[in-house]
This record gives sequence, C-alpha cells and structure tokens, in this order.
Amino acid sequence: MEKRKSKLNRNNWFDYLNIAFMIIFCFITLFPLWAVLVGSFNQGLDYTFGGVYFWPRVWTLDNYYMVIADEAIWRGYIVTIGRTLLGTVTSVLFTSVVAFGMSNKLLKCRKIYYWFMMVTMFFGGGIIPYFVLLKTIGLLNNFMVYIIPSLFSVYNMIVLMTFFSQIPESLAEFARLDGAGEYRILFSIILPLSKPILATVALWSIVGHWNSYMDAMYYVTDPDLYPLQYVLMRIINKSTVPTTGIGGGTLPPGILETVTAKTISFAAIIVSTVPVLVCYPFLQKHFASGATAGAIKE
Amino acid sequence: MVWLGILFVAIFCYVPMFGIILAFKDESARQIDVMKIIFEADFVGFENFELFLADSESKNVIWNTLGLNSLMMLINFPSPILFAILISELKKPTFKRTVQTISYLPHFLSWVVFGGMVLTLINTDTGALNDFLLRLGLIKKPLEIAGDPDAFWGLIIITSLIKGVGWGSIIYLAAISGVSRDLYEAAEIDGANRFQRILHVTLPGIAPSIVTFLLLSTSGILNSSVEHILVFQNPDNISKSQVIDTMVLQYGIQKGNYQYATAIGVFKSVISCFLLIGSNFISKKLTGKGLY
Repeated sequence: MEKRKSKLNRNNWFDYLNIAFMIIFCFITLFPLWAVLVGSFNQGLDYTFGGVYFWPRVWTLDNYYMVIADEAIWRGYIVTIGRTLLGTVTSVLFTSVVAFGMSNKLLKCRKIYYWFMMVTMFFGGGIIPYFVLLKTIGLLNNFMVYIIPSLFSVYNMIVLMTFFSQIPESLAEFARLDGAGEYRILFSIILPLSKPILATVALWSIVGHWNSYMDAMYYVTDPDLYPLQYVLMRIINKSTVPTTGIGGGTLPPGILETVTAKTISFAAIIVSTVPVLVCYPFLQKHFASGATAGAIKE
Repeated sequence: MVWLGILFVAIFCYVPMFGIILAFKDESARQIDVMKIIFEADFVGFENFELFLADSESKNVIWNTLGLNSLMMLINFPSPILFAILISELKKPTFKRTVQTISYLPHFLSWVVFGGMVLTLINTDTGALNDFLLRLGLIKKPLEIAGDPDAFWGLIIITSLIKGVGWGSIIYLAAISGVSRDLYEAAEIDGANRFQRILHVTLPGIAPSIVTFLLLSTSGILNSSVEHILVFQNPDNISKSQVIDTMVLQYGIQKGNYQYATAIGVFKSVISCFLLIGSNFISKKLTGKGLY
C-alpha cells in the first residue's frame, strides 16, 4: 500500500480540510432527498410529531397508494412525457436545420441573419407582450404551447452551427456533386457525424421540458393539460388531503384517517423524481461536453 | 433552411417587441381582448412609468431585485470557480468522480422538487434543521424560516448555491484541465506552495473564462430566476420576496393590467440594455474582449 509519493501527492492539512468540506457538501446535497424519501414511507399522522429524518418510524405505503390513486399525477405524467419527447425531437430537428443553413459560409447575408437572431438573446418585448402573442395565435390552453415556442433556440443554434462548421466542407461538396439535396446532406451526412453535440442539445431540452412548470402556470388553465411539475407544485402547496381525483374503491379502508397532505406530497415528489434518478447515470457521460459546448465562440 | 429560423425569431421575438406599445397606453382601459387595448386605448405617454416609479411598493421591489441579485452575483458567481479549484485539488480519482456526480445531481431536479425538499428540511415543526440546531443549543425555539421575510434572501442564495455550484463548476474544471501541467511543475520546482500555485497558475489560466461569464451576468442583474423564487415566495415573506420579474407576472397575467406590467418590463429592459453596453465597453477596455 505505502508507496513513496512525490511532494505533490502527499496529503497535508489542506487536503484533509478539502475532503471534509466535500463530504459535508455531499451530505447537504443528498440529505434533503433522503429526508423526503424517508418521510414518504412514514405514516402521515406520526410524521407530524417530528423527528423522522433518517429512517421511517411507522412504516407505511399509504402515501404511495394515495398518489397512485390520484388521476392528476398520471395525467401530469402523460403530458410531461408527451411534451418532453415531442418537444425535444422537434426542437433538435428544427434547430439543426437552421444551424446547418447558417453553417454554410457561402450563404448570402449570413452576418445579417446571424445578428437578426443574436439580438433576440439580449432584447425582447418582455413577458406580457409575449403572453399577448400566445393568446392571439391561440396557443393558450393548448398542448402546443409546450412545443411550438420552444422549437427554436438561438443559443442552441449557435452551438450546433459551430459544430457543423467544423465538419470538413468536402463531405458536403462531394454529396452535392452527386446530386444530393441540402436536406439529404443534413440528414445522411451531417447529423450522423454530430451525434455527441446532438445528444448534448437534446439533454438540455429534455431537462428543460421535464422540469418546466412556469408555462403551465401562466399559459394553461385546463387541468387536463397540467404537466407533472405543476401538478406536483399544487399538491405541495395544498394544505389539506386531496379528495378529488381519488378512486375511493381502490384505497385500503381507514387510510384517510392517518395520511396527511404533507406525507402525500413527499410520495408525489419521489414518484416524479424516480425517472430522473434512473436516467441520471446514463446521461452522465454527456455532462462535460454539454456544459462546455456553450463556451465555444464563433 | 435559414428562413425557418428567421420566421420563428420574427414571430416569437420581434412581434412581441411591438407589444411594448402597451406600456404607453391608458392603464385604466381594461379589455379581455388585448388587441383592442393596443389599437383603441388612449396614449398616455410615460404615465405608467411615472406611476411605477412613484409607488412605494415599486421602490421596495426594485430594492429587493437589486439587493438579492447583487448578493447572488457576489456569492454565487465566484463559488463555482472556488468549487472547481477545490475539486481539481482532490487527488483520489474515485472520490473526485463521486463528489462531481453528487454535486451535478440537483441541477437535474426541478425547482418544485428541490424546493419541496428544502422546505421539508427547514419546516418549523418537523424539519431536521430546526431539530439539529435546537439539540446543538444554537437556538432556543424553532425558526420559521419559510415565512420569515428576513430569511428569504439567504434561503434563495443558499438553495441556488447547492443546486447550481456543482453544475456551474464544470466549465471552470474544463478550463483548469486546459492549463498546462508543465506550468504546475515549473511552479513547484520554483518552490511555490499549494496556494501560490492556485493563485499564480490556476487562476490566471482560467481568468479569460471568468471575465466572459462575469460580463454575461452583469447585464442580468435585474433578471431573476422566477421558477426559483415562486417556489419559496409566500404571503408572509412577500415584502422581501417580490422582485421585478414576479411583479410583472402578478400585475400582468394574474391581475390583467397589461399596460402597467408592460411598462415595468420595459423599464427593466432599458436599464439592462445600458448595463450590457456599459459592461461590454468596460470589458473591451480591460481585456480587449467583449461580447460583440
């Protein structure tokens, strides 16, 4: 075990302090998640007495029964999965098409187009005129309000454009000589070569769609269109046990006497977070490339 | 192909710019159909702006926005840099990877979920934090953090740190790994200790990235993360938790006073615009690099 280490590799007090700090940091980061998980398995009435932090005191699955019986959660799941899948696929495709067009250095007025789009990253009409626009074109209370306004992002376009323009020009040139159209070149040559950056942009989009609740809060009033996060926010803010949307027949008898709104909301948080935690390890390899992609300047 | 993007930007970014006209329309004209306000209501010049600046609520809101965001910049801007340096100084690869994995995780949780977890932790009756502090004898009775106006800024800053510091450090870690190893070895041979190496090799190595990001964040000093604030905002702490962005949403979308809300939004945009131009100018003078 004990090897001779160079001066650079020997631990001194700074290292121990650093390690201690990191352990505390990790604890602070993970403990809230753990506390909610523990609370979700604890009986509601018992939880109100306090002291349930590290392990459930009175085990129960009642909170999960309540959550699973709540139709709003499932509808929220469907809306969220729908908008995440459709929203990500359409926005990555749409943004790629524009980025490919912009990556062509022979494009006329390229600088003008570039600035026309760039300016919108810093100046805009603000949220109210935007709201009025959505209202006028009929996107309020419409599932498409989750999809259409996020079809295109100037930032993502620049990231993709930068990547596309690093692909050797000759590849596209040869295809053009063989008579391939621009869309054909994009879909059969450029996109297959750009998988890492596409994965990165898709990851941003997925995280954004999955976690968004503001658009539902302000642009949607129809409960059938509420995404999971907004349903969750309403459950957390509710102080009473939800009695609507619960299939009474499927609940074990006496359950309503011991569950509380709080522990139900814990179970709801866990139910909505499980997909993120399951996918998290698989997404990890895209992290570093993802965060640095935005730093590339033209 | 490019026309798709031009069309999108024209509709969703340039058309709303014309909606700014709402800010100059009579505030008392209330219509369900906003187009009617835009085309038919009377022009009142800068009356809505004067109304906003004269209101005592607005002063408080502007103060909240500036105060909270300045503190955020002071604390949350350098933190990922410091965190990246600390991570890069960890020697065990497995420990380093574990810390990184854990620190990135909160970035992937929504503010609803993460906020819900934090609110559980700080709950007055059942939260672990109060119990912990009581047992240590640091406090006499449980703190009501979530409903305390004076605790709001701290709550926002700390939650923002925990959620974002790991993710924010990635970019600086990439910059640090780009610093040549030879420089470190040369510094060590010259007798530089750990802190001197950080100060004279690591920091200058990542300075260009720091300046660029600082510049980007200065112009956003009036922008708030609404998704974050709304999760912790409640009637008890509203005196400290109302910022310009949440005020615009409240007046515009909840109360339907489009004219007044638009005026507040325009006021904010104009100041941000000056800040952007100013900080870009300063950056060009100092480092020779700017955004444009």
